[in-house]
Amino acid sequence: MSIDPTISIRDVGKVYGVGRKQVEALKGVNLDVDANEFVCMVGPSGCGKSTLLRIIANLQRPSSGAVEVTTSATAVRPSAVVFQDYSIYPWKTVADNVKFSLLAQNLPKAEVRDRVTLWLEKLGLAAFADHYPSQLSGGMRQRVAIARAMVVESEILLMDEPFAALDAQLRRVLQEELLSLWQDMRRTVVFITHNLDEAILLGDRVVVMSGRPGTVIGDYRVPFERPRQADIRATAEFAELEQELWLRLRDEVHVGGETRSMKVA
Amino acid sequence: MATITASNPPTSTSEKTRVWRIVPAKAEIDPIRYARANRQRRIWLGVLTPVVLLAFWELASRMEWINAQYFPGPSRIIVAAGDMIASGQWIADVGATLRTIALAGVIGFVLGLFLGVIMGAFATIRHLFEPVLSAFYTVPKIALLPLMLLVFGIGETPGNLLVGVDVFFVAWISTLEAVVKVPGGYREASESFGVRGIREFGHVTLPAILPAVFVALRIAVGQAVVITIMVEYLMGNKGIGYRIWHAWSLFDANTMYVGIVTVAVLGYLLQLLVKFVGARAVPWAATSSGGDK
Repeated sequence: MSIDPTISIRDVGKVYGVGRKQVEALKGVNLDVDANEFVCMVGPSGCGKSTLLRIIANLQRPSSGAVEVTTSATAVRPSAVVFQDYSIYPWKTVADNVKFSLLAQNLPKAEVRDRVTLWLEKLGLAAFADHYPSQLSGGMRQRVAIARAMVVESEILLMDEPFAALDAQLRRVLQEELLSLWQDMRRTVVFITHNLDEAILLGDRVVVMSGRPGTVIGDYRVPFERPRQADIRATAEFAELEQELWLRLRDEVHVGGETRSMKVA
Repeated sequence: MATITASNPPTSTSEKTRVWRIVPAKAEIDPIRYARANRQRRIWLGVLTPVVLLAFWELASRMEWINAQYFPGPSRIIVAAGDMIASGQWIADVGATLRTIALAGVIGFVLGLFLGVIMGAFATIRHLFEPVLSAFYTVPKIALLPLMLLVFGIGETPGNLLVGVDVFFVAWISTLEAVVKVPGGYREASESFGVRGIREFGHVTLPAILPAVFVALRIAVGQAVVITIMVEYLMGNKGIGYRIWHAWSLFDANTMYVGIVTVAVLGYLLQLLVKFVGARAVPWAATSSGGDK
């Protein structure tokens, strides 16, 4: 294993627009993510978390600073991404949606089939392989989005509030599934969420971002051993950390410009 | 998303690992200059195609690669246009054509919009008229010209009617479709607050269908120009269409091309006008061109 951090973010800033309409989304962001580390990012709406994720994914470029992502030499893209709004294609079946992300890898047919089958099974989608997304519930659709990202077997997985659209119960189910999935098959993960509970349950570290312009204002190590179970929620340390995070975050949520958060988020 | 197509080249690729460096590019380092260069590039590219075509045409005509009697070069057409404008004939022709487009087009469009909204709002009326109108929609309107001549005699009415009917159908079918597809949530919200009837229309339905209406308007403007020219070919004694046909029958190629170019420019300017008005009438819609995201 290389000792270099898998993701290294140096003084990253991002500005949208020019002149009077200019909005500073990110300012002086510094962050390292080690190999096989699960880092959760929390912050108020519009603090540029999603922007940062898009920059790490090489979908946008920073206005200043640099991001370095280290992958294996054969990688087609630096990372696989699970988007906030699923962005799975309604005109493709579940299996075809998952297969889609292997298109650029030019793998032999048999391997594609095996991998798709494997990940459909792991996410409990095997019975729905030939269904269209419109025939599925929100939770199932999000499983498809996760399967689509996982099947690439990229070393780095970026997740942008993947469970935000789900109801609270379903959210718990998927959190626990992701927890055991990740503990089985480690990857480097950057996971964005609004949910502190989710961040502590899943993460090795929780990074707190400020209101706009977003920058890192806190970096907390989660003190629970791996593999962990969802019942750590009941411990005192869990509640303590959640409280600590909330105190750090509370003031930022008030100053965070809510009105234009849609544009930057 | 346009700015990301060229992904950053990896700075170092050793045997085992690849490092992806994601750093600012031109668009981020000097955004103002980049935006300006982009805008200029767009204008240049837009001008380039017609200029190259015209230059080639002129050259071909001068070198007699093509018969200059039938295909006079742009320079000769410009001279002919100058003469036509000086004599007042050009203005009269353009005026006649524009008058038909504006009069018949506006009435046809407003009626189509109105019927589309009514049919979208009331299922009974929709079911009563939709099959008949759909059947009529596919009949080429020009095929109705003899019938209209029979009923209304030779004059401006048959031509105006044809243009109006054509535009009517474009407006009607687009509006109906748009009204039917207004998301149910919008309607439920207004219903839950007791906003109904004409108020619901003004505050909810109309803004919701407006983007589709402007798309229809762009199509309708194009159609109106085509039908107007066609009608002028076939009958009457004025308008750009008449001028083109008349010039052709006199073997006056210069005048003919002035007419054709005038139609093209007219159509283009009308489209531009609709786009301009549309962009201001629907400020909440995302623009298709421009923007850096």
